[in-house]
Amino acid sequence: MKIKSSYLPYFLVLPAFAYLLFFVGYPLVQALYIAFTQNGQLSLATVRKTFADPYFWEALKYTIALAGVIVPSQVGLALILALGVNRVFKGKDFTIYALTIPLTISDVAAGLIWYSMLSPSGFLNKLLLNIGIINNPIYFFGYQYRHMEFLAIVLAELWRATSIVFVIIFAGLQMISQEYIEAAEVFGADYWTRLKKIVIPLLKPSIQSALIIRTLFAMQIFGIVWILAGRDIPILAGEGFYRLTELKEYDVASIYALVIAGLSILLGALYIKFMKAEYLEVKR
Amino acid sequence: MSRKMSFGGVLILVLLGAIVSGCIGGEKTTTPTTTEQVTLTWLSTQLNPPEERAFVQEQLLTEFKDQTGIEVNFIPISYSDMATRLEAEEQTGEVTINLIADLHGGLDFFASKGWLEDLSGKTLEGRTFISTFEKYATIGGKKVYIPWMSATYVMVVNKKAFEYLPDGLTQEDVMKGTEKWTYDALLEWAKNLKEATGQPQLGFPAGPKGLLHRFLHGYIYPSFTGYQAKNFDSPEAVEMWKYLRDLWQYVNPASTTWDAMGEPLLRGEVLIAWDHTARIKNAIETNPDQFVVVPVPRGPKGRGFILVVAGLAIPKGAPNAEEAWKLIDYLTKPETQVKILENVGFFPTVQEATGAIPSGPLKILAEGVAAQSATPDAVVAMIPNLGEKGGQFTNAYRTAFERIVLKGEDPEAVVKELGPQVRKLFEEMGQEIP
Repeated sequence: MKIKSSYLPYFLVLPAFAYLLFFVGYPLVQALYIAFTQNGQLSLATVRKTFADPYFWEALKYTIALAGVIVPSQVGLALILALGVNRVFKGKDFTIYALTIPLTISDVAAGLIWYSMLSPSGFLNKLLLNIGIINNPIYFFGYQYRHMEFLAIVLAELWRATSIVFVIIFAGLQMISQEYIEAAEVFGADYWTRLKKIVIPLLKPSIQSALIIRTLFAMQIFGIVWILAGRDIPILAGEGFYRLTELKEYDVASIYALVIAGLSILLGALYIKFMKAEYLEVKR
Repeated sequence: MSRKMSFGGVLILVLLGAIVSGCIGGEKTTTPTTTEQVTLTWLSTQLNPPEERAFVQEQLLTEFKDQTGIEVNFIPISYSDMATRLEAEEQTGEVTINLIADLHGGLDFFASKGWLEDLSGKTLEGRTFISTFEKYATIGGKKVYIPWMSATYVMVVNKKAFEYLPDGLTQEDVMKGTEKWTYDALLEWAKNLKEATGQPQLGFPAGPKGLLHRFLHGYIYPSFTGYQAKNFDSPEAVEMWKYLRDLWQYVNPASTTWDAMGEPLLRGEVLIAWDHTARIKNAIETNPDQFVVVPVPRGPKGRGFILVVAGLAIPKGAPNAEEAWKLIDYLTKPETQVKILENVGFFPTVQEATGAIPSGPLKILAEGVAAQSATPDAVVAMIPNLGEKGGQFTNAYRTAFERIVLKGEDPEAVVKELGPQVRKLFEEMGQEIP
């Protein structure tokens, strides 16, 4: 059987399109319906109810604050790691494997690991107590210690999700042709100049993809916060889940879901608009 | 082409299989007494999780069939679905359900609608039901259900904590739940523990999925105010919140992140904890020598605690009532009750069963539960059956806790603001305020 070649592309995207329509489009329409109607009538009552709840604004604040701290740190850390590994040394392969191990661990499992490490009787406190740096254990968890919980979440997220950024940046780094670097060396450019003028600009597409992926995931952050801080640190996904499962407020939960979706779309659009990737080949 | 055919063929086979096996095409209903083989339809809101369902079908009902030859179709169902179906059947007069199992609140509601048979005249040989349960099962002079299983929330004490008891309180007082075992004594004890060990040693499941709200409305509220919700904003309630704020200084701060106390107890992060029996069972099973289960303390108005009771009832006009009664008989036998405790962790409702529990971790739990039920100053609380509004009810207590204890707001202002909201929930559902 032959398919007319001009139809082929449509034919090929059809499964993906059908999947998106069914698993993203349909729930989205459903969520919009639940959120903006009441007894079959258009209504903004649910929106007003959600926005009047102080938990919503706290959740929004903390979600953005976490993303604001975690994402740049991850990109910076991943860049340093990738540059460090991108040279020839003994044990290079092993180092790369070791750095990507956290990729295989779910966020809930990571949360539990960090919980047991940071708890008052956990590894970190025992270590510090034994060395004699502290006399009383450091408390990381509990409403009174919210700033410490925030720190614990940041640490756990850095540990867990930096590797995905690392993999993307490292792959981008390996694609940069050695010729550019060598040419710069011939003209006497030092390491920092080469990094600033050649490597980083060429890495922009990779950094952009990593940023988009990580920022969108940061909007949906859930498991790790839920394990380490419960509702001490409210976040959008967590509040949506709580409203749905504990309070059975399907309408309010839909608003939370839509806010997360809206933020993700907005941030994705902003990244694409302001961080146009510059491929040298295209520019020439 | 042949691949396409075979795919279609498989699809047809799967569909045929589904129809033949009964997955599609409606569920089988019982046809009473026209055939020799009786199949009972048993709707239950309890034991619905897959592993518990498997226990019912593979162990309980297989044994029942071996003994009596009666087949039972066990249908796990949600409360609202059960209410809808029962209402429809009672109104059309075509009753197909032979037996229902639900919590006290649900059965109470069905009885008030006149949907349940009066079981007063019937007797079950060789078992004595615990009097509290018997009392609750009799509503308006009618015996509307037979108590089947129970659960509750208790305190677990690591034996090490007994070394730091306050003056005037003995281990015996705590284990038996005497008059001296009060909330004030708990405060003293918790204070001693913190001073002696340098760390707060009391723990509550105050995480988002924890059951702290049950402690608030079913334990400390009745103990201080005499009621779960009626005196929500009374002066006694304000005193209670001030007490809880004092107590919280000696509570492990990580409590706000804990959903169940089994793990913190095992990790040694707390020495005393309060939680649902099912959620601390693993700690006692892992280290039976280390922990004891004790009654909760008492307050000025008595010893408030929650009893969760699941009962068995026969819908009015049910076919095969005779066989359904045989199933009730089987399910409440002491041996069956012990089997249920061992497999799914629900406690017996008949006294004979408590004696039949083999010694070990379960015995520790059962003894603690029995000691709590037997305290003379008990103020028993049942979880209100507010259906969809249940979440809003518990959320009011949690909000009060967060605002007063964690955020330090004025208790009087907070309870005055939330009290009317709590009472409104009961008015909307047409229920008496407990």
